[in-house]
Amino acid sequence: MAGPLDFSSMTLQRPTVEEGLVAEEALLDMVCQGEVEIGWLAWSPRDRGLVMPRRHERLAGFPDARDRLVERGWPIRFRSTGGTPVPQSEAVVNLALAVRCRVGSSAAHLEWGYHRLGDPWCDWLEVLGVADADLGPVPGAYCDGRFNVRIGGRKLVGTAQRWRRVRGCRDMALLVHGAMQVGDTPEALVEVVNAFQAAIDDPQRFQGASHVALTQALPELDLDTAIPDLLARLVEARPAPA
Amino acid sequence: MQTAITVPEDLWEGDGEGVITAWLVNDGAEVAQGDLVAEVMVEKAQYEIEAPVSGVLAIAKQEDEVVAKGTAIASLEA
Repeated sequence: MAGPLDFSSMTLQRPTVEEGLVAEEALLDMVCQGEVEIGWLAWSPRDRGLVMPRRHERLAGFPDARDRLVERGWPIRFRSTGGTPVPQSEAVVNLALAVRCRVGSSAAHLEWGYHRLGDPWCDWLEVLGVADADLGPVPGAYCDGRFNVRIGGRKLVGTAQRWRRVRGCRDMALLVHGAMQVGDTPEALVEVVNAFQAAIDDPQRFQGASHVALTQALPELDLDTAIPDLLARLVEARPAPA
Repeated sequence: MQTAITVPEDLWEGDGEGVITAWLVNDGAEVAQGDLVAEVMVEKAQYEIEAPVSGVLAIAKQEDEVVAKGTAIASLEA
């Protein structure tokens, strides 16, 4: 256990945003220190926050943006993985996987890490009846990257990573994370990110039509029942390359 | 003796460039071998860069600068 979260659980846990972020860091520490070869966590926050890498704190308009987001009920939190701002709320489910692996020409890389998370995620969606899930970029989506889990070309899951060398050897510890919108409307979450963009005077705006929520694809899905199968697929997918 | 801190060649595949997202210690600070000193981001992946030897840090590439694999981003004076 780390704080209120159980690292052996195969079920969806409901901490605060801050508790979930701290737990993901602890997961990476556990792998890095050799306590486990693989760790996992599924969580959905019971509060709200706009989560971003700490480098955004250096933006000229950040203090004002932070105040404006607090006024809207979206306090800013920082995460250890890369990317740009992402809203966290009860409408988002996060899955984190930490594995020990070895980098090199034929071993683990960031692409390997993204497929390690994204491929089982797409398989899980297919089993649930979603035929057109894949990995790829989504123009117009916030925190876009090359390895979003998409449904019909729209972003369902944003993914990011953190790599840390295991002290005293060539092994690396990888934390790969996915944030899946499960409820609310895409427009509602996009609007939060666009409010931050406006507050820091960045002209880029994101589009609700570039995102999709899981409830739009699978309106009858019971998440608490379905998430353990997704976690099991992620944990059992493939061993880390040696 | 001066030792360069470089962005390791094996951190990511391909020729894509990264950006220094954070220095975790200040210019001129004394660091020990293995200490985490910087973070580099590529494709939403944050990589931690550690000190190869102990010494006094001299930063050559600043936060938000773009770097390629193998780039010397700082040096350590033993």
